[in-house]
Amino acid sequence: MSLTELLIGLAALVLAPFVGGFLRGVDRRITARMQGRIGPPVRQPFYDFLKLWGKAPSLPNRASLVWVWGYLLLTMVTVFMLFVGQDLLIIFFVLAFAAACLAFGAYSVRSPYAHIGAHRELLQMLSYEPILLLTVVAIFLQTGTFMVSGVLEHGQPLLLTLPLAFVAVLVALGIKLRKSPFDISASEHAHQELVRGVYTEYSGRTLALIELAHWYQLVLILAFVALFWAQPLWAGVLLALGAYFLEFVVDNVTARVRWTWMLSISWGKGVGLVLLNIVLIQFVFSSARV
Amino acid sequence: MGLISKARVKSPWIVHYCCGSCNGCDIEILACLTPYYDVERFGILNIGNPKHADLLVVTGPANRRSSRVLKNLYEQMPDPKLVMAVGACTATGGVFHNCYNILGGIDQVIPVDVYVPGCAARPEAVIDGVVLALDKLSKIK
Amino acid sequence: MSGESLVAVLVLLPVATAAASLAIKDERLRRLLIILPSGALIAASVLLLVQVLENGPLTFTPSGHWDSLILIIELVLLAYFVYVGVVRKHLLVLGLGATQLVLFALFKFAWLPSGFKVQPAFHIDLLAVIMCLVISVTGSLIVMYALNYMQSHERHLKLGATRQHVFFFFLVGFLGAMNGVVFANSLLWFFLFWELTTLCCYHLIRHDLTEEAEQSGLRALWMNLVGGLALVAGMSLAYQASGSLSLLDLTGFGTVAPVMLLPLALFCFAGFTKAAQVPFQSWLLGAMVAPTPVSALLHSSTMVKAGVYLVLRLAPGYEGTYLSAGIAVFGAFVFMITSVLAISQNVSKRVLAYSTISSLGLIICCAGINTGLAIAAAIALIIYHAVVKGVLFLAVGIMEQSIHSRDIEDMEGLVTRLPALAGMAIIGMVVMLFVPFGVLFAKWAALQAAAAAPTVWFSLVVAFLVIGSAAGIVFWVRWIGRLMSHTAAGAGAPEAAPPEAEPRGSLSYLVVAGLLAGGVVLSVLAAPLVSYLINPAGAAMGYSPALDTAGWHLKTSFGFFTPWVLFVVIGAALLLPALLVRVRTEDIRPVYLCGEHQASSAGGPVFTSLGDQAVLLATGGFYWSRVFGERSLNVWVNGAGIALLAALFVGVIV
Repeated sequence: MSLTELLIGLAALVLAPFVGGFLRGVDRRITARMQGRIGPPVRQPFYDFLKLWGKAPSLPNRASLVWVWGYLLLTMVTVFMLFVGQDLLIIFFVLAFAAACLAFGAYSVRSPYAHIGAHRELLQMLSYEPILLLTVVAIFLQTGTFMVSGVLEHGQPLLLTLPLAFVAVLVALGIKLRKSPFDISASEHAHQELVRGVYTEYSGRTLALIELAHWYQLVLILAFVALFWAQPLWAGVLLALGAYFLEFVVDNVTARVRWTWMLSISWGKGVGLVLLNIVLIQFVFSSARV
Repeated sequence: MGLISKARVKSPWIVHYCCGSCNGCDIEILACLTPYYDVERFGILNIGNPKHADLLVVTGPANRRSSRVLKNLYEQMPDPKLVMAVGACTATGGVFHNCYNILGGIDQVIPVDVYVPGCAARPEAVIDGVVLALDKLSKIK
Repeated sequence: MSGESLVAVLVLLPVATAAASLAIKDERLRRLLIILPSGALIAASVLLLVQVLENGPLTFTPSGHWDSLILIIELVLLAYFVYVGVVRKHLLVLGLGATQLVLFALFKFAWLPSGFKVQPAFHIDLLAVIMCLVISVTGSLIVMYALNYMQSHERHLKLGATRQHVFFFFLVGFLGAMNGVVFANSLLWFFLFWELTTLCCYHLIRHDLTEEAEQSGLRALWMNLVGGLALVAGMSLAYQASGSLSLLDLTGFGTVAPVMLLPLALFCFAGFTKAAQVPFQSWLLGAMVAPTPVSALLHSSTMVKAGVYLVLRLAPGYEGTYLSAGIAVFGAFVFMITSVLAISQNVSKRVLAYSTISSLGLIICCAGINTGLAIAAAIALIIYHAVVKGVLFLAVGIMEQSIHSRDIEDMEGLVTRLPALAGMAIIGMVVMLFVPFGVLFAKWAALQAAAAAPTVWFSLVVAFLVIGSAAGIVFWVRWIGRLMSHTAAGAGAPEAAPPEAEPRGSLSYLVVAGLLAGGVVLSVLAAPLVSYLINPAGAAMGYSPALDTAGWHLKTSFGFFTPWVLFVVIGAALLLPALLVRVRTEDIRPVYLCGEHQASSAGGPVFTSLGDQAVLLATGGFYWSRVFGERSLNVWVNGAGIALLAALFVGVIV
């Protein structure tokens, strides 16, 4: 790892919460506009964060706080790894560990709502993990490397040869960001979900930490989307923002689905699309293969 | 703490509990969330969990069964927290006053910060009440 | 000591110890008799490793009349299987045993020229030594654990006369047979050791002599006899095709030209039955009725590992063929589907069993992918899986004896009731599941190998692998969550378990802790492990080393990570909060129960019911058995397994 990479990684760690929080604010604003409302100011997520940070401590037990810290720190590790150009597979493995920490925190309390939320969180992981990992493999088939740094050096935009995989990633993005119709473990908005699903027992500072982790996660996922058009960089950023905007639209026009439906969409259609794309690569674009 | 105090005013999350009202005030409170009134522009979110909330919005009089739950919910909210009583029954017992099962207004059970009058309270009055509550919140260190 | 005598120690010492333990009735003497040779076994396997590392593969044929002796034992053994079939009135066992006996006798006496000898009888390369280390170290530790376990097991069952001597006869003898399996080069010898493991497995499963145990034992027996039959058929075909019965020849390292694929396919099929792959998974699931040390031994270091060892050993023989791709697809399918089935299980041992089958499927899949990287992943997986699965089974065994249940639902909050044990189990599961531990490193390598493999079929393999590993997250995390759920909510610190509930200094606890420490240390030292053992082992099988370990990185041509750096980072991310987070007791609040909570009792949160009664809150896990359950999936699973195997054979024959 060179010094420049290290600096980029550290800069990402510092800037990601601001970018992520800002994007969440934009999300709430645009969502409100789509519903014919004015909506909160764009800096609203930061107000929420600061307010939560200033609340008096109130916890169900110590373990839940420890796991939330683990969730935040591991998510930060994945962001750092992505921006210094590490192995994509390892990044997603660490991300799975981070997501599991959130479930562990919910499991550590004997609370019916948190437990149901944690179970549903697991179902969400069951749904999006295969899509993400399979897409990483599809990217590998195009670029010949699992390293983010290698993908960045790949000259041709990946979206041109991996359009179907990109669609599948959009599905995974919706599940990972807990957007409708896949907001079954908890919702990013104030939608009600068995009290608050996996977050039920968290409050105050703990909840603020979760919010912070979500901002990091948002940056991570969008950066992954941006890899589909990595050169030039602005195109990737535009692509990621476009994908994020598409999620708002879907979020606003759909209702929550049952988990079996989510699973059949992600395994049947999502994984199927990536597989189809991989087969296409090998037959149609075989000359481009490394 | 200046920043956090400011943030508190900008982001009051409410939890709504109906002690046993006629549902008139409940409907008006939900009307506040609609695009016409859109309280989210003030950062107000209706959150279904006392552990996340700053403002407990109560409708209906305190009766013998619901007052226990009301007290429990209040105690589960982390400080700083405020209570807003919406509607006449909530303030004094209203038309239910002197019924065999009614204790009176909810201030018999938990401390109340803001009373919103009306039967039922209009959404504008509810929003006014929230603004009053925010004023009180900004003075909490 | 010379290599030959080390091999003799490793194979014959367990057998001799077993025989002695059968004879000795005195409890303490038997203990001593079992612990000392276990130590010797571990020492011998390490010495053998040093020798093979220094001098290369060890190849020799013991002098004397071993061939005749082995032939006699083989015939007696097969006759015994027929006898079991007759006595138990089990037609399948009888039929398969008799067919096998007749076929083998025909092959040996009518087909092979008299005095036919396979040279060399033993060929011990690095892969065999790694297997031997796994068997000797893990196996011996499990045997030591069994010393304590069996005492309380028999106390629990209230047996009249102790049957421990029989138990230890087969348990210790098993290790010798397994060492024989991995050392043998002559297929005739291999066949004997193979059938010996079947015999030991049968007797260990039926040890408790209940009706259920008998049935499970017989099922294990007939399924493994199917494999034995495939082995005999494979041997005859291999002899017909090449005139050789040496594994070296079959894998293309010998003097004879490589043989046709069909015998190799039959051998791999035998490996599948022994490794309990779909559709033969039911014998391993049924084996759960046996005492826990048996399950631990069957799952971690012996029996099922013999199956994957055979498939892996033959890998150079079918490299680049249709068979190889077929095996990869089959293994990946098993990996996926058994992980999915495990989601629906609430009995801890069945979850472990499914996870074992799925890990074995992954190893078989790696053998089928058949590149240097995949073989390295397979070997790494064998090592890590053996150690960690040992930990998990032994920990579950202790839990079962403490809480008298093997249901995951009953394990809620064990982290407060039995903190040391639950802690070890949780770390064990984390080692199975999460980066940066060894099993995940193997998965990482397997995914890369599958992605980089040459044919289109491997896209399917990758899809199976990613779905399977996602399913793994669900059942492990749910189980860990169940163990960690605090039952005492009110107070800040969980109530401490009484120290007498956990005999932390006892041999069982030490064994579990030792294995776990081994698993973690091996994970941290993944890079040296790869460079000193796994890469050379792959090279000895004719694969070019695919992992570059310079500077303690693990680097393939497509990606890399550094295990110890990840350890430091992830360890810090989890341990720092665990050490630094302070919570005051007065900040602890009861859980949200719609405002109906009361002051919580020692047993957990309490709420007011509709009838104004105080009710203890209970939570349960979801198992989604209508979607993932055996009842809804088994028909499809077994059907698909049979179809895949059929496709394998049809393709090979055509």
